[in-house]
Amino acid sequence: MSGNVVSFLARSFEYVTVRMFSHSFLKRPNGSRLFSGIADHRISNECPCPRILLIALTPGCLFAINLIVVGPLELVELLLVSILAGFIGAMFGLGGGILIVPFLTLVEGVPVPLAVGASIVSVVATSSSSAATYVRDHLTNIRLGMFLEIGAVAGAITGAFVAVYLPAAALLILFGVLLLYTTAVMIRGRRLDFPSGVSPDKAAQRLSLGGEYEELSTNVSVKYEVTRTPLTLSITYFAGIVSALLGVGGGIINVPTMNLVSKIPFKAASATSNFMIGVTAAASSSVYLFRGDVNPLLTAPLIIGVAGGAIIGTKVLKVTPPAQVKIAFGVLLAAISVLMILKGLNLPVVI
Amino acid sequence: MDLNRLISYSLRIGVLASAVLSLAGLAAWAARGYGTVITTSGSSVGSTIASAASGDPSGLIYLAVVVLIATPVFRVGLSSVYFSHERDNRYVMITLVVLSMLIFALISGSMG
Repeated sequence: MSGNVVSFLARSFEYVTVRMFSHSFLKRPNGSRLFSGIADHRISNECPCPRILLIALTPGCLFAINLIVVGPLELVELLLVSILAGFIGAMFGLGGGILIVPFLTLVEGVPVPLAVGASIVSVVATSSSSAATYVRDHLTNIRLGMFLEIGAVAGAITGAFVAVYLPAAALLILFGVLLLYTTAVMIRGRRLDFPSGVSPDKAAQRLSLGGEYEELSTNVSVKYEVTRTPLTLSITYFAGIVSALLGVGGGIINVPTMNLVSKIPFKAASATSNFMIGVTAAASSSVYLFRGDVNPLLTAPLIIGVAGGAIIGTKVLKVTPPAQVKIAFGVLLAAISVLMILKGLNLPVVI
Repeated sequence: MDLNRLISYSLRIGVLASAVLSLAGLAAWAARGYGTVITTSGSSVGSTIASAASGDPSGLIYLAVVVLIATPVFRVGLSSVYFSHERDNRYVMITLVVLSMLIFALISGSMG
């Protein structure tokens, strides 16, 4: 027992020291970031000397240090951030990777591949945890979700194969601009959440995609039809490609598409998107897992945190009026679009 | 049982099992003095997971990750079975297409 306390203290001390040192060394003289390559953490496993000494003596091993040292304190940080990510992910039909990846890379100094690897696994947890509730409460449109999964998964597979040939920067700028425009349309039309008189298209009729859910903020049962399904399916496909490029779920594109193109009420769109992204994220997770980019100590607290945060998120979404959810989503959407455009312009931002 | 309940239960059980395994992994890591935990890749993923039986921290966490990845895949398969039971052929087709693309992605992922 006392041995445990000692090692806890030693670890905490090591953690703080390493943190101080690594922050002062975070930038190389030429300005490039230290923790930038996938190779870095592989080298690290072969450094046998004590870690604190390493910092002082062997600058070559330096990159590795932050990675190996996941101390108890860092674990608490990871848990807190992941609870927030799970909450936001569950509310808005996103995976939450949009929050976790920048946190891990910018604050914790984790290399991008490892950050994305841990994040994409946590997206599966956010999705499954929130979908369990939304499906039970009939907020998820299961049929629509399964139909659109065809586009999402096909897009993710295409993305994985053609990513290197795609003009990634141009795509990012294009989607960034489109999403900015979407933000404006969404906020302007926030009060028209369940338009009446939508006539379902042929595909929607054949596949009986229409749905119904209980709006708890006003206690009415909302019945809706789905329209322009082929367009939404093709956008879902491109969202799958983009998600493979960015390493995040496609929720940020799918939610506004379902809401604005197919006229699905926002909450149902968010719940359905949550349902769908688990499948695409599971496919990508396996790639990261076998590539060796899933670090156990980063991933375990994320899984626990997002699963808990998502449960809170589902409870909040159910009772919040749709107009408010749409405004909050709009703000998030605008921020992410600007980040996408900046990234497309090759400015140093990480999403 | 209706489809909503089936899916809801299977997702909940999958996430819960994964979270419990992650917690067990972290507890094992703490009990062993917060040492280094290995990051594994490729063909050694299987043997790392096998070490979960002996209470190895990284084995437990990798098992948690695999259970988590399997959860949505199982959900698609389950829906497919449900729709074939209901004789809803269109949705049997849709879910089978998704399932086969998923399996393709998982296999190509495991080959690197």
